[in-house]
Amino acid sequence: MPETFEIEVNNLNFYYSGTVHALKKINLTIRKNAITALIGPSGCGKTTLLRCFNRMHDLYPKNLYEGEILFQGINILTPDTDLINLRSRIGMVFQKPTPFPMSVFDNVAYGLKLKGMKKRAELSENVEKALHHAALWDEVKDKLHSSAYDLSGGQQQRLVIARALAVNPEVLLFDEPTSALDPISTAKIEELSQTLKNDVTIIIVTHNMQQAARISDWTGFLMLGELIEFDSTQKMFTSPSIKLTEDYITGRFG
Amino acid sequence: MNVVLKRKIEGMVAISLSTLAALFGLFWLVFILGDVLYNGISALNLDLFLNDPAPAGVDGGGLRNAFAGQLLITLFATLIGVPIGVLGGTFLAEYARGKGISKVIGVLSDIMVSVPSIVIGTFVYAILVRPLGHFNGWAGSIALAIIMIPVVLRTTEDMLSMVPWTLREAAFALGAPYYKVIIQVVYRGAASGILTGIILSIARVAGETAPLLFTSFNNAYFSVNMNQPVSSLTVTIFQYAMGPYDSWHTQAWAAAFVITVFVLILTIAGRLIIKWRYK
Repeated sequence: MPETFEIEVNNLNFYYSGTVHALKKINLTIRKNAITALIGPSGCGKTTLLRCFNRMHDLYPKNLYEGEILFQGINILTPDTDLINLRSRIGMVFQKPTPFPMSVFDNVAYGLKLKGMKKRAELSENVEKALHHAALWDEVKDKLHSSAYDLSGGQQQRLVIARALAVNPEVLLFDEPTSALDPISTAKIEELSQTLKNDVTIIIVTHNMQQAARISDWTGFLMLGELIEFDSTQKMFTSPSIKLTEDYITGRFG
Repeated sequence: MNVVLKRKIEGMVAISLSTLAALFGLFWLVFILGDVLYNGISALNLDLFLNDPAPAGVDGGGLRNAFAGQLLITLFATLIGVPIGVLGGTFLAEYARGKGISKVIGVLSDIMVSVPSIVIGTFVYAILVRPLGHFNGWAGSIALAIIMIPVVLRTTEDMLSMVPWTLREAAFALGAPYYKVIIQVVYRGAASGILTGIILSIARVAGETAPLLFTSFNNAYFSVNMNQPVSSLTVTIFQYAMGPYDSWHTQAWAAAFVITVFVLILTIAGRLIIKWRYK
């Protein structure tokens, strides 16, 4: 039986403003219920690649995709792709926590309300479930109706994860989710990612190679817009087949 | 002379000049406020708010018509000016962000802010008073609204631009369409700033006389009919202060006091909101 791929990237080229060639002929496969890490030096295109999966680049004019990204077999780079639907199936968590200026409860309920959920009881139930899922419930259950800005940075980031989880996405995109957090909060989120992968497929961009080695199952190494090597994390960090990968992972540059 | 001493002297000169300039400005401000307070408080009495003007030259009477008219004109100016200003600012900061048209409208709006208000008064006179053949309250409200719009528009634009872009991306990433991102997330983030801008713009127009002189003019009787001339505090102050009767002068002081306090309260409220939000 062939392995099931959640996402397949075929010959993906991406141009910022239609001219800056940021991703060059990327081919890779994302496995379901696994964590795939994207690593590489600054400006290598890892975040650019991540933002292709939920078509975030469409927010800015003239950005251009070529090639295809198959999400469960369907190309999501076609112009007729419903971005609202796509983004509710592929959630995203950003580098800095992005709580909305509203209460903890309303933050988590935001995506649910967008999907048309109105009943208070149903919302409460799903919000609680998402907060449990993001390992935040115990810390915020008594302050659901106070401002999300009153939470600590680590709690805010888990709140944002809860908000993304609330709408039951199939994939979660993590864009350096711990780079603005202290080590304890980072550990909590790394731990969380391990339990989350039972339900969702995770793609994480990270600057921190130890983090990639600790939490991911698969790793892609990018440089100057090209995917240099893609393999299981174990293989990548013990015996990479390409010299450049080894040099980067061992800290010879980058 | 050594360099350090020279710099110290230069620094002293700069500090002295700017302190003097500040004190000079402050002196007149305190003088004006003190004068209004002193003459205004002594002229205040309950009749002022409850009675309409007595016939010219007769003592007594009040300015009920002017208070009501002022509130009415300002209220309608706010109802017209604020939505246009907020929506315009939203267009500039969101839909036209970074585009040429946004800069052009921004510059035009800045020019509008500095257009003398009497010019706006005569403009509205030409389009809404002359064709109708009589002064009317609507013309006054619209003249004030025209003054408000660029102020509200610019503050809205600035406040929306201060909301971090990543917050919008986070909402987009949840599958929100742009109008929902703006209404549910961006407006909330900028709410106190926009509110401050609105309050300060009301304070700005509440003290205007020139645009009303050409539009709503004045009415010696109590009237809330916006199709007719409507009295206002500022125009009343202008007329009474110029008039020959002592009782008029006293009432003009009282009216000046009330409107000064009103504008002062609005301005302080505006500042407090900023402080409370950005502490």
